[in-house]
Amino acid sequence: MTNYAALVRRELAVYFVSPMAYIILTAFLLVNGLFFGWSMDEFAARRSPVNYGWIQQWMVYLLTLIAPLITMRLIAEEKSRGTIETMMTAPVSEWQFVLAKFSAAFLFVAYLLLPTVCYAILAAKFGTVDFGAAAAGYVGMLIAVAAVLALGLCISATCANQITAGVLTLIASLALIIMPMIARVLPQGEVNAVFLGINWGVFVVALRGALHQMNLLGHMEAFSRGIVDFGALVYFLSVVGLFLFLTARIVESRRWR
Amino acid sequence: MWTSQPPESRQNRIMIEVRSLTKLYPGVIAVDNISFTVHRGEIVGFLGPNGAGKTTTMRILTCFIPPTVGAVRIAEKDVRTDGMAIRRLVGYLPESNPLYHEMRVREYIDFRAQLKGVAFRERSAAVGAALEKCGLGEVRDRIIGQLSKGYKQRVGLADAIVHNPELVILDEPTIGLDPNQVRHVRDVIRELGERRTVLLSTHILSEVEKMCGRVLIINRGKLVADGTPGSIVNKLTVTGRVRLDVRGSGADMKKAIESEANVKAVVWENHNDYHTFKIESKNGNDLRPDVFRCAAKHGWEVLELGLERVSLEDAFVELTVGSLVTDTRTKSTTEKQPTVPAPPSEAQRSS
Repeated sequence: MTNYAALVRRELAVYFVSPMAYIILTAFLLVNGLFFGWSMDEFAARRSPVNYGWIQQWMVYLLTLIAPLITMRLIAEEKSRGTIETMMTAPVSEWQFVLAKFSAAFLFVAYLLLPTVCYAILAAKFGTVDFGAAAAGYVGMLIAVAAVLALGLCISATCANQITAGVLTLIASLALIIMPMIARVLPQGEVNAVFLGINWGVFVVALRGALHQMNLLGHMEAFSRGIVDFGALVYFLSVVGLFLFLTARIVESRRWR
Repeated sequence: MWTSQPPESRQNRIMIEVRSLTKLYPGVIAVDNISFTVHRGEIVGFLGPNGAGKTTTMRILTCFIPPTVGAVRIAEKDVRTDGMAIRRLVGYLPESNPLYHEMRVREYIDFRAQLKGVAFRERSAAVGAALEKCGLGEVRDRIIGQLSKGYKQRVGLADAIVHNPELVILDEPTIGLDPNQVRHVRDVIRELGERRTVLLSTHILSEVEKMCGRVLIINRGKLVADGTPGSIVNKLTVTGRVRLDVRGSGADMKKAIESEANVKAVVWENHNDYHTFKIESKNGNDLRPDVFRCAAKHGWEVLELGLERVSLEDAFVELTVGSLVTDTRTKSTTEKQPTVPAPPSEAQRSS
């Protein structure tokens, strides 16, 4: 436990001693602030109530794109510098190591989201905001981003170069955003496309279903409406669990070679 | 600050026990069936050319990678099943000395002490002692990435000893240091060796002769020598090679010596005003009387006559490179059977 705490503290410190943390913080708050101002204008122009859930969904998209910057160095850097050798010859288990890395990235994202709470307060000044729904929305955002971070951590563990890890994670993030769009473009309902005596429509329906299930952001929609969706919670936690498990196995894999 | 060892471990004298250790990588035998034992309190030098399997062996001892075949026990604990307990007992400095360059020296050593389970109350003292011992007092608040190579190496060394380990494993601890720094690191290691077991690998043979009570020489994954530096050198000297420094006509003298009954081979080195002959005996007997009589008969001006002293460096070359070249070299120069505790397959493998 002291090991885990020491590791998390170090990882967090690394973010804040490098310019990375400040660049990410500035960029995130700048883009988010512009979007928030614009969307408040829109709500006012349409004379519609403030839809804070919509703003939160936008933030998740933005965080999905930022996640590669947060996760890329986590394990890839330890491998390229060779510090994984000092780490794994100290009494530190693979699980402690991986969990600490993940926790640090997660805490960093939570820190990134903290200032955005003032948007909700600000919006409430000029309209009505359902704070309960906003709180549920934040839970949804955090666990959705946790899934992306776990994926990024896993990719970082497979790469010996943090730039490679960053690019691969960015591709994965973009795929997560694009997949639901593909699902929407695919023909809806029953599909019949007989070719060479096979009805390919079945595959299209299956693919659509699969893409729909992989739609991370779709799973968090219920949260931003104020519903803590138990199914979605289980979904995100299993995705996080799966990727952390894979990451620990990848770190351990040097022992099988 | 060094705690005394518990009584049960004092009885148990064996620190490292390696039995038929083999490590295979796809297509490569990194370590090939080696066995050795290291007792508590020994400083053991681990020698071998690059790629001989030193680092692999050390990584297995520190539980970074598991052995393919064989048993490795550290302080009675098996590396396969008791990895965590062993990691607590061992301090390790890897060859590349990886460090977190963005951290400050003190902060890093404190972090490592925490990972290695040094209790909160003792930590500050343990960190201070490690920094002091490694001469890092002045730079304790500097950022590691900005330190010179010598200081970085000492930071790695401080990390290896901060939790007061029973066994310290150092992979090339003095690589890339200037002579003063080498001397300092050597002092630290010697001091460690007074209370702890130290296994260190190096290329620098003079270092081994100065520090280590025992030497293991490994070549192509096989252990080719195990003993004190003196005993290894002696084993290679017994065949009785004689060295003669003499003035006169070199070619005539070579012929005369070669015509002696017990002489097998003569190597002639022509210096400016004298010649050196290295004379090898047929049966391993001492040739000095024969050479003396030959010189006296011809009235040579002998400058020096003696057994050729083999240095540890010669022994190293003999045991590592020498065993490679034996088959291809002409018989006249080295027809020395390697007096090496190695299985007969060794010669076949190296050919």
